[in-house]
Amino acid sequence: MNDVFKYRAPTSRAELFGMLAAHGEGAKILAGGTDLLVDIRSGLVRPELVINLKKVEDFSELAWSQSEGLIIGPATTVNDVLHDAKVRDSYPLLADCALTIASHQLRNRATVIGNIVHASPGADMAPGLLCLGARVQIASQRGQREVPLKDFFTGVKRTVLSHDEIVEAITVPTSTARSRGSYRKLKRIDGHDLALVGVAVTSTDGAVRVGIGSAAPTPLLIEGLTDEDPADAVVAAARDAIRPISDLRCSKEYREYMIEVFVRRLLEEVR
Amino acid sequence: MWMSVEVNGHIYEREVTEHWTLLRFLREDLELTGTKDGCSAGECGACTVMLNGEAVNACMVLAAEADGATVETIEAEAVDGELSEIQAAFARNYAVQCGYCTAGMVMSVRELLRLNSKPTVAEIKEGIEGNLCRCTGYQQIIEAVLDVSGQINNGTRGGLKYV
Repeated sequence: MNDVFKYRAPTSRAELFGMLAAHGEGAKILAGGTDLLVDIRSGLVRPELVINLKKVEDFSELAWSQSEGLIIGPATTVNDVLHDAKVRDSYPLLADCALTIASHQLRNRATVIGNIVHASPGADMAPGLLCLGARVQIASQRGQREVPLKDFFTGVKRTVLSHDEIVEAITVPTSTARSRGSYRKLKRIDGHDLALVGVAVTSTDGAVRVGIGSAAPTPLLIEGLTDEDPADAVVAAARDAIRPISDLRCSKEYREYMIEVFVRRLLEEVR
Repeated sequence: MWMSVEVNGHIYEREVTEHWTLLRFLREDLELTGTKDGCSAGECGACTVMLNGEAVNACMVLAAEADGATVETIEAEAVDGELSEIQAAFARNYAVQCGYCTAGMVMSVRELLRLNSKPTVAEIKEGIEGNLCRCTGYQQIIEAVLDVSGQINNGTRGGLKYV
């Protein structure tokens, strides 16, 4: 790193929240570091303090309970989710999404919550978590609040989080456990690449949901569809919601075309 | 920051520069230059090391994060000048060209075999997807992994039939 910053590794929530409140915008949270360290090196962010939250007690938790569903902690890695027996059994869509992220070495470090908080339009965990009705548990010195994931993103790499807040957990309700559905990610190569588009489709007790990444400033959720809706109607709803751009990875038109292809293929799978 | 880290079986206790990566700490402080710096952005895998027993990109970890941790690098592979089984298989199968990716490749293969002792060709490709070889010598690397995991014999080595 060329930029000079201080490093702290608090071991309690109170200590962590105190540091965030005291340092404001100058502090950046380090979880997996796979986005933050790249951003620091490229000069995109210049923190005066980097706070490693992985030493806070219980933050690596990946738990499940009948009342709260799946609870993903701030230090839970993408590989933790990928290899978790409960995820594979009840939320296999999340394992689908996890496997498409980067490479094995990066998945050993990258966290699920980091993937969401970084708020890239192409965050691979987002389409699956959106379809499964995930909720974001936010905490700070001022207290706690809960936001549905679909209301969490506000723009490219922007969220509802204030500088003193962290995401303490992402919860996935039991009501969407064992939903049918999977995730398709279009890449330029078979290996490690960012998504050209990413689409998840689920069917849960007759309700069809479509989650789409890399097609708008934020990951998208399309709700209000049912198993009875014809494929053309689902495709039309997706087409209405997306606002893709052309960039170095591919054109807007290619994105539009492939989203339609993926929505149709994934719908056939859940029906 | 003052920290204690175990690297290749030796415990180092020293002051670490807080904004340095683990990669820079290994190469410049400990002078363990077997681990290579390729892209510094988690793309190429040349800096792959084992951190608490799991493969990571050393350029994507701060040195300070390794406080209290165990690190293994390519320098721990050969013992008393004797190549490890993975290194010997790389040599036998001509899996080294310029050699820049090799240290990271060997670490990723160690991780792969830790999780899966008999990987298929598809699983090998997935296991090394985070390691770029700009000589594009992947075929020989795949054969080296098949060899070291006992899935290939001398007679079939060296072809392109596993692509």
